[in-house]
Amino acid sequence: MPIKNRFADLHADITAWRRDIHTHPEILFDTHRTSALVADKLRDFGCDEVVTGIGRTGVVGVIKGKAGSSGKVIGLRADMDALPIHEQTGLDYASQTPNAMHACGHDGHTAMLLGAAQYLAETRNFDGTVVVIFQPAEEGGGGGREMCNDGMMDRWGIDEVYGMHNWPGRPVGEFAIRTGPFFAATDLLQIEFEGLGGHAAKPQETVDTTLMASHAVTALQSIVSRNADPIDRIVVSITSFETSSKAFNVIPQRVQIMGTVRTMSAEMRDLAEKRVTEICQGIAATFGGVARVDYQRNYPVMVNHDAQTEFAAEVARSVSGQCDEAPLVMGGEDFAFMLEERPGAYILVGNGDTAMVHHPEYNFNDEAIPAGCSWWAEIVEQRLPLAS
Amino acid sequence: MPIRNRLGETHADVTAWRQHLHAHPELGFAEHETAAFVAQTLREIGVDEMVTGVAQTGIVAVIKGRTDTAGRVIGLRADMDALPITEASGVDFSSKNHGVMHACGHDGHTSILLGAAQYLAETRNFDGTVVLFFQPAEEGGGGGREMVNAGVMDRWGVQEVYGLHNMPGLPTGQFAIRSGALLASADEFEVVVTGKGGHAAAPHQARDPNLAAAHILLGLQSITSRNVDPLHASVVSVCALHSDVDTHNVIPQTTRMTGTVRALDAGVRDMMEARVQAIATATAQAYDCVAEVTYTRGYPITVNHPDETEYAAAAARAVAGDVITDTPPVMAAEDFSYMLEARPGAYIFLGNGDNGTLHHPAYRFDDNAIPAGCSWFVELVEQRMPAH
Repeated sequence: MPIKNRFADLHADITAWRRDIHTHPEILFDTHRTSALVADKLRDFGCDEVVTGIGRTGVVGVIKGKAGSSGKVIGLRADMDALPIHEQTGLDYASQTPNAMHACGHDGHTAMLLGAAQYLAETRNFDGTVVVIFQPAEEGGGGGREMCNDGMMDRWGIDEVYGMHNWPGRPVGEFAIRTGPFFAATDLLQIEFEGLGGHAAKPQETVDTTLMASHAVTALQSIVSRNADPIDRIVVSITSFETSSKAFNVIPQRVQIMGTVRTMSAEMRDLAEKRVTEICQGIAATFGGVARVDYQRNYPVMVNHDAQTEFAAEVARSVSGQCDEAPLVMGGEDFAFMLEERPGAYILVGNGDTAMVHHPEYNFNDEAIPAGCSWWAEIVEQRLPLAS
Repeated sequence: MPIRNRLGETHADVTAWRQHLHAHPELGFAEHETAAFVAQTLREIGVDEMVTGVAQTGIVAVIKGRTDTAGRVIGLRADMDALPITEASGVDFSSKNHGVMHACGHDGHTSILLGAAQYLAETRNFDGTVVLFFQPAEEGGGGGREMVNAGVMDRWGVQEVYGLHNMPGLPTGQFAIRSGALLASADEFEVVVTGKGGHAAAPHQARDPNLAAAHILLGLQSITSRNVDPLHASVVSVCALHSDVDTHNVIPQTTRMTGTVRALDAGVRDMMEARVQAIATATAQAYDCVAEVTYTRGYPITVNHPDETEYAAAAARAVAGDVITDTPPVMAAEDFSYMLEARPGAYIFLGNGDNGTLHHPAYRFDDNAIPAGCSWFVELVEQRMPAH
């Protein structure tokens, strides 16, 4: 029982949906066209309930099985948003919107979950309820968090949630997963150093913020190199350094630096927040200035639950023959919010030898569609089996 | 079959040996009394062959099983040396050798292996040969390397090697192991920065090696924080900085920096060596100084072999029931790594309870761990070379 035959039939349709979404990418919560397309399709498939506007532009569809005696409800989630990247794939269905591109394959995720929804609505070979979740703003906006905050889990009584991401570099349609922490927590740093601006010819009359901020960037390296347990995983990257004036002869009053902190455990996350604050304030004081530290906790560590991971891997093996142990990923994923609310698991499906995600030449591999759809369908049919 | 009855009976004797060794600690390659005691005990035990003076103060002894139909040979290893620490444990058998202390439990390791040897020589309930290695100078002297270089593996035809180390913080008698990298490599580096000395009131006439060294120290932080894959563990620690003057008014001619580099992956180790070289050399140049870098590779990564890790865990399970098989790696180093480079094998941790930390003056080896340690060695021999 590898790929379901029905998905071979539907492969061309699902590919066409995917390419249509690819041509019309939308950023963060602005997934209006995509959401409408998803809602229309779900209604066409005969979903029992289709609700839009969950988590602003998210869409939820409900499909009831032939039987409902189990009382169980499984959530299946895809993301719909694109990235502010200018596409350079040269595809005939490339993005028609400048500086917007499906460079992370959410077009594929959405199309695959639509395909699975069509199959599940046609066959309904399960005992319980499936909730298909289409979220906006995975790429930094926390669309998953917004959907949870709208009470989605309780409203539909969801017991477990599952998610999937395509993975360049893995053979097409081959799965990989790991239990426990999987994707990193991604926190955002914004630090403003304030000193005393002045004439660059009279540094003695100033409190130089460029020197202060440079020392802070150097000192922030010590969180990873000195404070963190070397066995644990952590990244501190300063990504932006901006002076409040742009001149050759002015010492700026303010410097703002931005960056990100990635961690895999609560301990490292707490440590990073504490040390970032101490280091920046201490360094600023050293040079006679002040630092205003805005440490914003964004996506939490995405933690796969043991039992659901084991089950998801079993299903993947039934679809593709094998399922590897995935490596830890220092990227973040806002499915983490859903996994904080309900047990569940997130799996990677191979996208073949393509450019990396977030690259202007990346493209979702339509050959992964049958495996991805089959995994969704099998999750439901194996987790909510009909009494034979 | 947990602890063997006979090893319960010999517990008091082995404890007495341990406490005797504890009272008479000796530093690396100077374990003369210790080696004499071990040799005398092995003679009384009735080993079939013994060679002393291997790698200066090491001992190799052979115990033959009741039969030898398959030519199997297993090596079991303990370390004998103590540390240059003044004991403050308060035990009544404290070190009589002031400034030297068994603060790493090698007294325990040696006694446990003697206890196992006694049992094996009494019972000989195995088909093959056991080779006992009592090595000198684990604490930095590379006694394990010297034993391997002396040809012990080939001379006695050893096919697999096993060792154990007590582990503070783990409940006494609890075993913990992992396949793959268990302990780090430990390399040393020395950077001699040469500038131009001069009067501290006239820095413009000098080229300050202290400033260059300080910047090198900061730059070295970026190896772990920027260069190493965050999923890999690494440590760079600068441990000493000395300028060639000790005054308030002289800019030195040279400044010397020493430190250590730790890694759990061979590729990471290579890259870190290259980065230490590059950062020190280029940074010194930036301050118009010259850096001379001496990078010395110390103990290699201690890598447990997958199959032998399984065997070691199986023996531990037979002794203690529950075994931790995914214990996190430790950034300390261990010269059993040389034996594991020469032969397949595994190294296991044995819980020492809450009795202080290794290399601390108040550390205490827990004699209650002895029966579990002896049983593990015995079990390993009897499982790997079952009697007919």
